[in-house]
Formats: sequence, C-alpha cells, structure tokens
Amino acid sequence: MGMSVALDGVARQAAAAKLVEEQGLVRSAQAGDRLAFEELVHRYDREVLRLALNLVHRSEDARDIYQESFMRVYKNLHRFRFECSFYTWLYRIVTNVALDHLRRRTSRREDQAPVPEEAEGGTRDFFDRQPEVRPAANPERSLLGQELGQHISAALKRLSPRERMVFEMKHYQGLKLRAIGDMLGTSEETVKNSLFRATRKLRASLDCMR
Amino acid sequence: MLQDRNQNNSNQACGDFEERLVLLAAGELTPDEAADVADHLAHCARCSTALECEQEFVALLPQTRIEPDAALLASCRSGLEDALDLQEERSWARRIANIFVPAGGLTPRPAWSAALLVMIGFSVGILGPRLLQHPRTGPDSSKSIVSTETTGPGNITPDPVTEGGVMPIDLHSAQVAGINVMRSGGGEPPQIELQMKARQPFRVQGTVNNPDVKGVLLNILRNSDRFDPDVRLDAVDLLRAKNNDPEVRSALCHVVHTDSNAAVRLKALEALNGAEPQDLVRQTLLDALVDDRNPGVRVEAINTLRSMAAQGKVVSDDHMLAVLRDRMQKDPNTYIRLQSAAAIRDLGPSEKF
Repeated sequence: MGMSVALDGVARQAAAAKLVEEQGLVRSAQAGDRLAFEELVHRYDREVLRLALNLVHRSEDARDIYQESFMRVYKNLHRFRFECSFYTWLYRIVTNVALDHLRRRTSRREDQAPVPEEAEGGTRDFFDRQPEVRPAANPERSLLGQELGQHISAALKRLSPRERMVFEMKHYQGLKLRAIGDMLGTSEETVKNSLFRATRKLRASLDCMR
Repeated sequence: MLQDRNQNNSNQACGDFEERLVLLAAGELTPDEAADVADHLAHCARCSTALECEQEFVALLPQTRIEPDAALLASCRSGLEDALDLQEERSWARRIANIFVPAGGLTPRPAWSAALLVMIGFSVGILGPRLLQHPRTGPDSSKSIVSTETTGPGNITPDPVTEGGVMPIDLHSAQVAGINVMRSGGGEPPQIELQMKARQPFRVQGTVNNPDVKGVLLNILRNSDRFDPDVRLDAVDLLRAKNNDPEVRSALCHVVHTDSNAAVRLKALEALNGAEPQDLVRQTLLDALVDDRNPGVRVEAINTLRSMAAQGKVVSDDHMLAVLRDRMQKDPNTYIRLQSAAAIRDLGPSEKF
C-alpha cells in the first residue's frame, strides 16, 4: 500500500514535470520558435495520423486531415491560453477537421459503396476491388481479423460522422469518454449516447453480414 | 398474470441494462455502477450472455486497427514542413505588402475603400505641402538618427545632433516597428536595434546599458496596450539581463500584474528569477500565484519561488506561508498544489499540515 502510494506520487510528479516541459515548448512555439513547434508536432502526429487513417481508410485523405489539422494549430497557437492541456486543444482541432472531412465525404457520390458484383465462380468482396492498398497491411494479422476488419470498415460507414468519431476515439485511440467529450465540445452524457448508438448499429450491421 | 408482469419487468430491466453493458465492456462505468450491473448479472443469464458478446467484440477491435507506416508518417511530416515554409514566406510578403497596400479587410468593401482613398488623397494634398515646407534641420536629416553606446574612450562616437549626450526621444508618439538583436560572443551584451515609427522614422541602437535603448524598452512594458505581444516579449527578454536595476525590476513586476497576454506575463516571471529578493519581487510572485487565471503563469510563479528559495534568496514569513497553504488546498492545478506543499516543506517551520 505504502509502495503503491509512493509510486503514484512518483508518477504524478513525473507527469507534472512533463506538463511543465511541454508548456515551455508551447510558449517557445508561440514566440515563433519553429523547432519547438516541430517538437510538439512530433510528439502527437503519429496518434493524429492513426485517427485520421482509421476514419477515412485512405492515405491521401489521412494526409489531408493531418496537414490541415497541424496548419490550424500553427496559425492559432497564439490563441492557446493553457486553460486545458495542449493535447486536448490539439485534438479539438483534429476532430473538427476530421468531422468536416467525413461530412463532405458522405455527401459525395464517388464515396458511395457500389453494389458488389458477383463474378463467375464466386463472390468478389467490395474491398478487393478498391485500388487503394491499405497502408499498414500486416501479414501477421489473422485471416479472421482481416475479414472482421473489412466487415467493420463497411459497417462504420453506416454511422453518422459524430458516432464514428466517438467510436474511433474510444476503441482505436483508447481515450476516456470524458476526454472525448472535452475534445468534441460536448457533455460526457452525449458522448455515451453516441457510443451506445454506434455500438448498437455496428452489431446490427455485423449480424446482417453473417 | 403475475408471472407475465415479472417477465415484462425482467425484459424492461434488461433493456435498461443494455446501455450499461456497452459501457461496462468499454471500461466506462464507475465502481458503484459496475457493482449494480454485477448484481443484475448474477441472476440474468440473458444479460450475462450479452455482456460476453460485447466483450468479445471489443477484444477483437484492436486487430482491425490500422497503424500508419513509417513511410506515410515521413511523407506527412515533409508535406507539413513545406506548408510551414510557404506560410512563413507568405507572412513576410503580407507584412511588406501591408506597408503599401491597405488591409485586405477593406477590399470586399469597395465603397469604404473608395471613401478611404479619397480621404487619403485629400490629406496628402492638404498636409503634404505643409510638411515639405518644414524639413528637419540638421547636418543629415534624411538619415535615421542613431544613438550610440559609450562604453569607453575607444568607442565614443559623437552624436551628430546633440553634443556627446543622449538624443531625447518622444516616446508618447513614437511606435516601435521592430526589434533586431545582434548577439555578440564573449559574454558581451547583444547589440539591439529598435526601429522607431514616428513622423520621421529613426533607429535607436546600442546595448541594453544604453539609456535610450533601455528607456524605449521600459516604455514598451509600461504601455502594453500600444505594442504588439511580440514586441513586448522581445522587450522583456532583452531587459532580463538588468533585472536588478530598480526601474527594470519595477517594470517587470508591472508586466506580471497587468499585461493582457499570458505569454508575456510568463516571460516576465522568468526574467524576475534571480532578481534581488526585494519585497516587490516576492509580492509579485505571490500575487501571480494567487490571482493569475492562467495556470501556466501560476506554475511559473511557484517554480520561480522555489528556485529562489533553493538559492537562499527568499526568506519566508507568515504571509508567504499562508499563501502557499492556500494554494496547496485550493489551486485547481494539481502540480501547483504539489509544488506549494513542497515549498512549505522547504521554507516553513516543521509542522504537520
């Protein structure tokens, strides 16, 4: 008990020290230090790109979300007032950019999934005919996981942009619902409802696909 | 009938629990809520099965996650660097263009733009001849006035306008257009060039020891509403080398209390670190710790206090300990509460708190 309390205290102090160090980086970046800004980008850009990629499943679109998000951060960094963590502020921007992107995509005809054609001798999965190669094809992933991934990807397209965002941030980014609510500018209760609706829709879609 | 009603209730109960099962599988229930669900699961096989399915579903999701590969990440980073370079070039071009062209906000308003151009034309037509009739007198009125540093017999350069003295600068009307700093090696203070906007632009050059340079920098800090945050940041940064000068120390404390920009207040707090522990500095740090709404500023204040305490430059008294205790209990920032406790331990008498 005593050891765990002591370890908690050490972890808290380490987190506090890291926070202060990051605040120093942010202040330097606000004063025009380009290297400080790039250091901040490199701390979080892999997570941002992962979120974007899992949302849009296309490298080019994920790259657009990445670039637009960080350019907005760069142009608005002088408005950051340390009232929340830099991570939370960054993700607010990223989620806004990603939601805008998702909303534009759902209204574009070319993003509508075509009805898969049945070729002679067997069915052809819709994803097999997409020219885009999944950027992180993992040869070690099991066949079951690949098939499930394809089903889930198709089912995710049926969610609203906000439901999809909440689902991705919860299950693929590992964020708590309270933090997600903070980033999306909404209450935890609203986010819980979004997650519940998203899960119910996904389960229903996956059941239909069996 | 009773059995039917019970069946309906159990169905309704499971319906009530459906959302909680999703949240339980996602690790989002509080311990009390989770215990409530566990009580229900103990006698509801249907919900137990539903929870197992939900947990299996959640456990499979990581397998479907796409990880960006190194090539894509590198491509994104280099694309961002190019975009940042372009943005910086545009900023420079925009600043230069704004000198000659009215602000972009006027162009969508042609009527206002036309009216403004007419007014400018009238003003130039009426005032121009008057200005041209009264040129500045002096041996070289077309050049900027340069104030020089007198550091020793070998470096004295007489001022072309005043004899061996300092050129008076009207700080009420002059604006600072830019600050250039030329660092010199060997521990010498950097050369500073202040580009002044006035009826006739001029430059002030010298180190921070030069009275004119120091006067302009102090004026920037005392009249923050007239200058951009960038200029104020530079002024604080340059004056920190003289933080034991009473005038500079007073101006830095004024900035901590009054500047509207948190980054400038932070910079001023950093600049006060190492200043002699006069009452004004100590009180400024304590005021910032209590009153500043920005948590970053309060963090800097407590860090500076602790740093000065570690160097033996701060002696605690009842007021200071009372402030630290207040912050230890009430500050919304965990780090500040922890640091306040540590400061009490370092500075205060041994007592339980």
